[in-house]
Amino acid sequence: MLNRAAGNIYDLGYRRYEGQRLGRRHAVWVLWLHRLRGCFGLGRPASSKIFPIGLAVITLIPAVVQLGVGALGARNAEVIRPENYYRFVEVVLALFCAVVTPEMVSRDMRSGTLALYFSRALERTDYAIANFAALATSMFALTFGPQATLFIGNGLVESDPASYLKDHWQQVPEIIGSALLLSCLVAGIGQAIASYTPRRAYSTVGILAVFILSSAIGATLLSVSEQGIWRYSLMISPFHVVAGFSFWFFGASPEPLSQLARADVPGAVYAAEAAVVAALSFLIFLRRCRGIKA
Amino acid sequence: MTDATPSPAAPAAADIEVIDVSRWYGNVVAVNGISFSIGAGITGLLGPNGAGKSTLIHMLSGFLRPSAGSVRVLGQPTWGNEHVYRQIGLVEAREAVYPFLTGREFVVLSARLHGLPRPEKAAARAIAIADLESVQDRPTGGYSKGMKQRIKIAAAVVHDPQVLLLDEPFSGADPSQRLRMMDILKGMAQQGKTILFSSHILEEVERLAENVLVIVGGRLAASGDFHAIRKLMTDRPHVFTVRSSDDRRLASALMNDPSVSGVELDSGAMRVRTSEFAAFTMAAPRVARAQAVTLFEVLPADESLESVFAYLVRR
Amino acid sequence: MNRDIFWLTIRELAGRRRLALVVLLGVLPSLVSVAYRLGDQNTAAARWTADTLLYNVIITIFLPLVALIFGTSALGSEVEDGTAIFLLSKPVTRGSVISAKLMAAWALTAVFVVPAASVSGAIAIWGTPEQGIITGFVVACVLGALAYDSLFVMLSAFTTRALFVGLAYVFIWEGIINSIFSGTRFFSIRQCCLGVAALISSAPEETFSANLSGLESIVILAVAVVVPVWAAVRLLRMYQVGESG
Repeated sequence: MLNRAAGNIYDLGYRRYEGQRLGRRHAVWVLWLHRLRGCFGLGRPASSKIFPIGLAVITLIPAVVQLGVGALGARNAEVIRPENYYRFVEVVLALFCAVVTPEMVSRDMRSGTLALYFSRALERTDYAIANFAALATSMFALTFGPQATLFIGNGLVESDPASYLKDHWQQVPEIIGSALLLSCLVAGIGQAIASYTPRRAYSTVGILAVFILSSAIGATLLSVSEQGIWRYSLMISPFHVVAGFSFWFFGASPEPLSQLARADVPGAVYAAEAAVVAALSFLIFLRRCRGIKA
Repeated sequence: MTDATPSPAAPAAADIEVIDVSRWYGNVVAVNGISFSIGAGITGLLGPNGAGKSTLIHMLSGFLRPSAGSVRVLGQPTWGNEHVYRQIGLVEAREAVYPFLTGREFVVLSARLHGLPRPEKAAARAIAIADLESVQDRPTGGYSKGMKQRIKIAAAVVHDPQVLLLDEPFSGADPSQRLRMMDILKGMAQQGKTILFSSHILEEVERLAENVLVIVGGRLAASGDFHAIRKLMTDRPHVFTVRSSDDRRLASALMNDPSVSGVELDSGAMRVRTSEFAAFTMAAPRVARAQAVTLFEVLPADESLESVFAYLVRR
Repeated sequence: MNRDIFWLTIRELAGRRRLALVVLLGVLPSLVSVAYRLGDQNTAAARWTADTLLYNVIITIFLPLVALIFGTSALGSEVEDGTAIFLLSKPVTRGSVISAKLMAAWALTAVFVVPAASVSGAIAIWGTPEQGIITGFVVACVLGALAYDSLFVMLSAFTTRALFVGLAYVFIWEGIINSIFSGTRFFSIRQCCLGVAALISSAPEETFSANLSGLESIVILAVAVVVPVWAAVRLLRMYQVGESG
């Protein structure tokens, strides 16, 4: 009811928030968690879950197969070793990246929700970091998970798990390291590509094209010649780079006559290249984030 | 137009005939046993948001399959029958235009797809009706919302359909655009076309439609001549909040008036119950003046569209 | 086939960004061929052209990717952008809609794949007797494009996530599963392409060989076109708009 004499406006509902504000760090953490959940389709309808989770399951298959073979007695038949595990699932990992990254990145660009993000405590850098971290984490789940399964399974198959652990404990940091580097590399490349277009379809095809075409082209270029500069052809292919540094991490060497052996480039070089490419692609993504109109 | 049984002297089959149509999604019933028939002229489909207007129009236009009942336009079922589109024009709210086509190309494409023998001519005529001649060579991607709406109308009438269905055609239109679109529709109605449009705004329906279908919660709450329904809606018990310089005196005087059925005094105001809206609004100042009481405020409570419709449904 | 819809779809699909992407991809095989010519060439030209370039690069990767780009967008972008209602509220049979979209997708796919295959193949095999390898693979590409596009158009009538399903088909089914379970090669468009190429070219077995005979390949490809098109028409007939107000 208006008091006609005085003409007041009463403060009926709006109250300032005086409580605790958790600040930037928390915002980054929350965004990371939210993105990670989104990667696997949690909190979304079932159709968003099939692909990521299905692909995650597929990455486990080689581990399961190897454990099955081992458990059935053919102890020394090592079909799948940690160092060449990634080769078996590289296409699946690329697919996962191609499916999940555009959902995260292109969707924001298309629907214009970036303004919502940046009007909170979140800086653009934080957004980029949280996105990258979430994507890398989800890829880490797909790379570390199967390797860990293989490792633990192998240990359990042995009659004396404790001694297996003692003999092979250095595999643990190797697994973590290789999985981490792989995740950062794939996540970085995926995000850098996805940040260039708001249409998810283009991102997906672009990411896949980069991974798979570069692999075919690198292999083809290597088959051209194995001397001089052609030796480094495999370095344009993320798949081969991953294989290269995997061997380096696990202290093994590639099979003779395989493409990597013929290229004869030290594994450490691949690892260094992976780290550099991951960092560069993150910077590209960061730059795109800064430039996006929110 | 009444619903259910047609009288013996009814004209030939109505253009749009809906018999006991329902549509459900799992446990949610969007449209519940609706029957009506519509002929030439403009009919408004009125209802609050979520009442099922769009669902009904989608079923009428063949883009949704009824869960039960039958939908016939010009005697033909609409579901799964692309030939019926020769006689139907559809303007859907969510339909988009091809941004790379100019307005003219868009309407010409529509004419071609309808198989018209002289598509360019028909398109020119439709664009003239929609008053878009000045911008027809601009890509539709650059059109304003109102222009996009009108080019959609042009594309929908290019083949001179007998029936025109429009889903929320005036939403987001500014008053001048609304007037222009209304003129277009009125012109078509005068040629004997059957036009059905949906809206949740009373005034729009009032201004344009001769007949009205009121749909609430998936059910048909009222149908027929708009003024008759208006009267029905207003002749229900109203509650007015009145403030004056002497409530008590006014209250006892109002009780004497035949239009008032009850008065309740509260601190600072009084509530008057009446079942004759118009009569009371004329009685109140008259009585107040006679009693030398100054009226500060006469406020009808309970005027929301939802409550009106809810009342209609309960009735 | 409805000619207006055909040209409309061509205009829709031939957007600048899409074309740029496809042209970019298309240049790569030719670059690879150039690299091959400049190098040692320790693999015989014919064998390298057929096996590595035309099969591993063009048929396995380039063709499906381009088909994915055009095939899933032909129908999919209409649904996604909301113009499907305009198209479907016309007295045009659903069959003509689907065939127009398919022909448009096929035309665009072929327009990009054929030059990429021919040019890169010609560069690589220049000087040695061709033995019908390039012809064989180009025909295989054209037929394979039709089969892939049919499949993808059908998928986009079925789900909004047609791209993902298409990717899974190409890279998981044809890529991984077919190589493990050789009995599934009858359900692989890729293998059919190889079969067609082997049928047409007169190259000997050591140069390249297929896992399916020419006849089998053609029959399976025909089925791979007819069945999805039939399914797509039926699905389009049942196109419904989701619920709203």
